[in-house]
Formats: sequence, C-alpha cells, structure tokens
Amino acid sequence: MGDSKRHRILMVSDFFYPKFGGVENHIYLLSQCLLKLGHKVVVMTHAYGNRSGVRYMTGGLKVYYVPWKPFLMQNTLPTFYGTLPIIRTILIREQISLVHGHQAFSTLCHEALMHARTMGYKVVFTDHSLYGFADVGSIHMNKVLQFTLADVSQAICVSHTSKENTVLRSGLPPEKVYVIPNAVDTAMFKPAAERPSGDEIVIVVISRLVYRKGVDLLVEVIPEICHMYPNVRFIVGGDGPKRVRLEEMREKHSLQDRVEMLGAVPHARVRSVLISGHIFLNSSLTEAFCIAILEAASCGLLTVSTRVGGVPEVLPDDMIVLAEPDPTDMVQAIKKAISILPIIDPQEMHNRMKKLYDWHDVAKRTEIVYDRALKCSNQSLLERLSRYLACGAWAGKLFCLVMIIDFLLWRLLQLWKPADDIEVVPDIVLSHDEDRGISQDFQAFNKDHSLR
Amino acid sequence: MVESCISNKIYSYKHECKWPNSEAADVHGIIVRKSRSKGFLVFFSALLILANAVLLFLIKDKSIAVVFWIFIWDVLIVKLLLRKRVEKESVVVMPALGVQLETHYVSGNIIRRFVPIDKILKPVLLECVTPVTCYWSLSLIVQEEAELMLVFKELRPPVKMLVPIWKALCAATGSEGSLNTFTEDGPCC
Repeated sequence: MGDSKRHRILMVSDFFYPKFGGVENHIYLLSQCLLKLGHKVVVMTHAYGNRSGVRYMTGGLKVYYVPWKPFLMQNTLPTFYGTLPIIRTILIREQISLVHGHQAFSTLCHEALMHARTMGYKVVFTDHSLYGFADVGSIHMNKVLQFTLADVSQAICVSHTSKENTVLRSGLPPEKVYVIPNAVDTAMFKPAAERPSGDEIVIVVISRLVYRKGVDLLVEVIPEICHMYPNVRFIVGGDGPKRVRLEEMREKHSLQDRVEMLGAVPHARVRSVLISGHIFLNSSLTEAFCIAILEAASCGLLTVSTRVGGVPEVLPDDMIVLAEPDPTDMVQAIKKAISILPIIDPQEMHNRMKKLYDWHDVAKRTEIVYDRALKCSNQSLLERLSRYLACGAWAGKLFCLVMIIDFLLWRLLQLWKPADDIEVVPDIVLSHDEDRGISQDFQAFNKDHSLR
Repeated sequence: MVESCISNKIYSYKHECKWPNSEAADVHGIIVRKSRSKGFLVFFSALLILANAVLLFLIKDKSIAVVFWIFIWDVLIVKLLLRKRVEKESVVVMPALGVQLETHYVSGNIIRRFVPIDKILKPVLLECVTPVTCYWSLSLIVQEEAELMLVFKELRPPVKMLVPIWKALCAATGSEGSLNTFTEDGPCC
C-alpha cells in the first residue's frame, strides 16, 4: 500500500488492434487500466497493411506499428537480430523501465525480450495459451520458450493449469510464475432487461469454428439435443474452416429452423447475441482460460462447458455445468443445465461476476509483479550465460552463442549510434477541459528553452 | 541578423531575419556541418580499387583495358556518392505570401519549392517509423494534396531544431501553436 513508483512499460506482441482476440483484448484493457493507475504504457506490434507508424489510442496509449512484414499467422519474420535497432531506439526514446511480452507464439515478443535482456532491462512474460509437448511444432516452440524464459525476470500465467503447463514446457522455477486470471468488462456485458420469454430454450454457441474449439463435438451433440427436446433452439455465431461440417449436419437432420448460423460476429455485437439465449455452450478441446464463458456468465447465461485446461478454475460451480469432451457426457450436462435453468437469476449472476472479475484488479496485481521484477538484481553477461547453458547439451551452447553475438551487436550499435543521439520523447499529459473536451498538451514543446 | 543558433554533431540551425525592421521574411536554415570523413573514405576506397587494378596489370599481365575500365568505374562511383551531397536546407517564411522550401547541394545546385500561405492547412511534427529507427519530421498539410509535404526532404535534423521552425510556421499560417489535436499520420511512416 506504499508509494509505488511510476512504471514505464513497453507491451510487445504480434497480436494487437486492429486484430480482435483474447490476447489483443487483454493487452488493450490491461494497458488502459495501468494508464488509469498512473503508469506510462507504450505498445509495440507489427504493421497491419497500411496501418504503420505511430498511433494513439484512448487514454494516450501510444502504439508503434513497426513496418516488419508478418510472414506466418500474423507473426513477424524471425530474423534474430534484425529488430535490435528499432527496439533499442524505442526503449531509449520512451525511457522504458520494463518490457512486458505477450503470447508464446509471437516471434516479435521473443525477439524483444531477448534484446531487452541484452540491454539490461527487466522483462516480464505472459503466456496466454496451453501448448502440447509431442508434435514437432510444439517441441521447437517449447525450446524457443525455454530460451526466452531462461532469463526472464518474472512470468505471468492466466490460470493454475496454464502455470503448470508453462513451467513444464520451459523449465522455469515455479516461484517466478504468478497466476493472474483474465477478467471481463462487466459494464459492457450486462444481462438483458427482460429474459427471453416463451417456452423455447435457446442455446448459444459463439466461437471460431476450428478443430481446437471442438466443433466436431457440436456436430454430434446438437442433433441429439434437438431430438430429445423439441423446444430447444441453437444459435451458432462464428466462422472458420469447420463451418462446413455444421452446415452438413443441419442438412442431414433437417434442422434449418432449429439451428441458426450467424456467421462471423464482430466483438461489439457479441453481447446482443448472448442476451438472446439462456444457455451458453462451449465445447473447446483445450483452453488456458476461456474469456468467452466469462462474457456469457456476465450476461446472465448458464454455461455448459468441457472440462479441459483452465476452464474449471474460471466460474463457481453453480454457474457452470462441466462435462468430459465426449458427446454422451455433454448431452447429459445439457440435460442437467436445462433442468436447473428455472432457478438461475441473470441479474444476480451478473452482480456476482462484477465482484469476482475486474480489469482494475488485474492491473493492480500486475503492478505488484512489475514491482517485484524491478527489484530483481542486475546481472552481468557471464552470470546470465550460465543460465542459458543449463538449457540443454547442444541447445545451451547455441543459446549462449546467440546471446554473445547479440551483446556484441548491441555494443557495436552503441558506438555507431550513441544513446545520446536518440532524442527522448516528451510525455503526453492528458488534460480534461470541460469546454473543449479532452485535449493534449505536449508540455515540453511549449516551453521556450531547448528540450535537453 | 542572426536570431538564434542551435547545433549538434551533424547539423546546425540558424534563424535569420532578412529585413529586421519589418516582418517580411524569416529564414530558418539547417546546415550540414562539414564532415571530411565521408569524402575521405570514398576517395580512399576508389584509390584502393585503382591500385589493385594497376597491380593486376603489372604483376598478372592483364591488359591495360582493365585499368582503364576500373578508372572509369571509380570516377562514376565517386561522382554518384558525392554529387548529391546536401549543404543546407532552409525554410523562408513570408507571413503574408507563403513558405519557400530550399535545398542547397554541394555542387551548387539549388532546388526551391514555394507553397502559398492559403494552401497550407497546418504544419505538423510527426514521428516516422522505419524498420530500423524512428525519427521526427516536420511536414505541411497542403490543401488538395493526398500526401504530406516534407519541409526537409533530404536532412533529418533533431526535434529541438524542428520545434522553433514549427512554431514559426504555425504563427505564419495562423494555426494554434499548442496543439489540441493528434498529429496526423504520414504516408512515409
């Protein structure tokens, strides 16, 4: 509760606005709450088409869209050392004190964390997803993660299951990993003033229609439920490669009037789709946290979900019915949900969610992690290299080599473009003026003396 | 009359009033400080290549044509690298008429662009991001043009030199100096 310092944080990830998703939302909302707490936050991501350069978002959030081309699934081309100059420039000009990387699958994040460590900055990493151990892609990514996390100051995971997964994949000591769950914007996700009435029970499904989200399970479950309960209707929102299977199922069982397919639903319209239903069905095969069920619970829907990953940790037992990822078990769970539906009060559920999940709470907890990270001791290159050597027989030596080259390149860059030549950007101070609305004041520019 | 002067390792900024008793014209210039090292490096490498060619001729008995072609190549390269050197870029602000942007090259060439005062909507300072760096640039938003007009096309002076020029342009065009709006994004970013 003491007087904590003002941090200057750089959030790095390949995934940010204008793309929509869990990670993107997390970074944006966390940044907004940190700005409200008085810290300075700058976001760095790659350029999206024409959207390149510096942009400002609500609250004075500065975003750098660095013009590196994405090459695979929104990830920047990994060049190991290519991003060192621009990252160094941004860290110096914004006077950053701490770098926070998001998502293990983001190459920009890994590179930024590596360069930040070389330059002596403290580094925090948040992992948002669960990954496997067995297939080739996972093995390589886990090795990269091991490299990045060998020297990270602190790490954050979104659930205890995710913490276990990250610790096993990366070999990080568990004491360094904090669990800070995601939250939901309860102001936006409010239940309908009046519950959808009538004898019909509407079950809502909103997700990307991919294998990972268990669409194949839905294909088995929906016809079964429609057969057992003539008064049940389904609304399916979302798009993806597996949409075709759902369409086929509709045709095969003649469920065109029982199953409504909405296609891709923009995030702003998710609430209006949710409040038209009574039950929310989530059939994911793997999930580190699942914000979708939080949104549904905040709108007063009863949730039926597969018991995978971090899902059991998210909601209290009376707000969710869990099932194994198996069609028969899921049908039983839906039956149970339909039977307990009359006793559910959406407004009461929403009020409980307001107390349980709040982004400001997430920001305060993250601030504590930042304070701890900044208290970590500064280590010399040799001390850090010993941590990398422990990563494996061959991998350890390779990682050490990569870091030594990075260190040498950094020194070279310091000689070629000294830090004094990089101008510091003046801080934005947002001032509220009732007559003119919100205005910005670049205070340093208005002073008559020189900037430095 | 020189009003103010700021300098750093590469550039120096000079603000002059052409006719001190009237507000007729203000010249803000960014001068590139003479750095011998680039010219020296270019000449040295050219000499090295020529020496190599001569050596090849003398020792390995290659024909004199090789030396001749290498010499021509050297001359072309030196001309190319040193010809486009900028000596000075300046902005002449004439409050009632407009703004003249000048680029003076070492070779004596001067390129001038004039923008009438009523065509300038607003001068802006914005940050340009490239794959390796980020720098400030001063641009003009011009009516009926899709792209911003860069005030300093070739040089990249530091922001402490750009700020007084920006303020002078704001005063001349009548836009408010303390900004109420976000700076616009530029196509160069």
